[in-house]
Amino acid sequence: MKAVLEVKDLRAGYAEREILKGVSFTLGPDDFFAIIGPSGAGKSTLIRCVNRLVEPKGGQVLFNGVDLLKLSYPEMRMQRRNIGMIFQEFNLIERLSVMDNVLTGRLGYTGTLRSILRMYTKDDIAQALRLLDRVGLAEHVDKRADRLSGGQRQRVGIARALIQNPKLLLVDEPTSSLDPKISREVMTLIREIAREFHIPVLCNIHDVDLACDFCTRVIGLQDGVKKFDGRPDELDKAALQDIYAMEVL
Amino acid sequence: MNAATLALRVEGIEASRQKTRRLKFLTWAVVLVAVAWSIQVIVVRDTDWSRISLASLLDIAKRFVELDASVVSEDLWKASLETVVMATLATVVGLLMSIPVAWLGAANITPFGKSSYAVGRFLMTMSRSVHEIVWGLIFVSAVGLGALAGVLAMAVRSIGFISKTIAEAIEDVDPKPLEAIRAAGGTKFQILWFAILPQIIPVFVGNMIFEWDINIRRSTIMGLVGAGGLGLLLFRQMAMSNYGGIAVVILAVLALIIFGEVASHYARRAVI
Repeated sequence: MKAVLEVKDLRAGYAEREILKGVSFTLGPDDFFAIIGPSGAGKSTLIRCVNRLVEPKGGQVLFNGVDLLKLSYPEMRMQRRNIGMIFQEFNLIERLSVMDNVLTGRLGYTGTLRSILRMYTKDDIAQALRLLDRVGLAEHVDKRADRLSGGQRQRVGIARALIQNPKLLLVDEPTSSLDPKISREVMTLIREIAREFHIPVLCNIHDVDLACDFCTRVIGLQDGVKKFDGRPDELDKAALQDIYAMEVL
Repeated sequence: MNAATLALRVEGIEASRQKTRRLKFLTWAVVLVAVAWSIQVIVVRDTDWSRISLASLLDIAKRFVELDASVVSEDLWKASLETVVMATLATVVGLLMSIPVAWLGAANITPFGKSSYAVGRFLMTMSRSVHEIVWGLIFVSAVGLGALAGVLAMAVRSIGFISKTIAEAIEDVDPKPLEAIRAAGGTKFQILWFAILPQIIPVFVGNMIFEWDINIRRSTIMGLVGAGGLGLLLFRQMAMSNYGGIAVVILAVLALIIFGEVASHYARRAVI
């Protein structure tokens, strides 16, 4: 099967502090990867290097064969439209309605003038409504985002990522701001959607149990170095101790 | 949701979005017409256009450009120095007076509930609603001609801005550190000192520098009402219709303002 995302020897950081020290992995079209590791291991940086919210220092990020690190800013913008992102703190625009928040996922396809006048196409609005229905928020379309609960807000975030028609989903600690029950619901929803729309997922998650329950493969990161790469059932106590060695000390 | 309901709801959403959009366009159109009308009435109709010609403009400009070097004297240096000193003093005095006003006018720490809050807010509004020149007139009649009147006028005028921004910074502080000090058994003063003060210091210092910068501008005109500084010289040259002299004083004012701008830039960088 052809890889969707190939990361090769990815490096990031500043001169005095390296955050990623050459990380490599390959993500297939049906994969749901979990990146685990202690705080400060570089999980967030790794995910943000893929869509270049953080500028890497070296290596390759091949997305469907295109090296993203070689692209100019406008070219990168075109590629970002194909990569959906879900955030830890949801990153909604609090004062906008749920509908308008989801529609911001179409901004990559909407001209500046049209977007200022909020003139999204009818297809976009229909698709937004369909997705909001899919994530269970059909009754909250007109509410302001700040009126929703944490779980509901993350569902808006998921709908916003999906309306891009992404070919890859980057998910950054989707459950850190949620309670355990809602966390499971949100992870279930992300997994269902990934299967339904055939979108591979690269997901940062610090909760090892959640990682093992929902993901097809686990990457263990420690201090910018890949320490583990395998199926969840291969992640035994020794492997965990290796990844989290720093915290035990 | 089936296809029919979906289509229906999309129609509804589309219609309401279009309505909002039309309302927005309408609002902007009304604003635009109002602005155009104001320009017509206040500027176009009210100006004696026959007086203004290229020749008359050039003539006035020429009179200003012929600088009067005799104005550059010890008086000018002294007045410039006085202006800066006045601004600095006024900022410090204004700051000291702002602290209690901010304490009264910050809703979350005001000592006697709504009544003291109202007093604080009233003092802020009073300070801001009177122009510095008017404060200058008041203090000149109270303490006589000279720089003291100017310093007091600017200090009182500064209270409005400084205390308002401090009070708002106090209202916006993160309540979590307060909770921690309270949980440790801290007194009200300890809460203020350890939890609130560190959070507002950057706003406090930044706005103080900004106010100093504004006070330099203000102190250049305080002399118009006899309250010291460069303004007195300006007023004298204006009374004599000595355009070249006016230009020299204005250049001195400009130099001071640039000095204030540069100094506050470095002060801000050093402190924040």
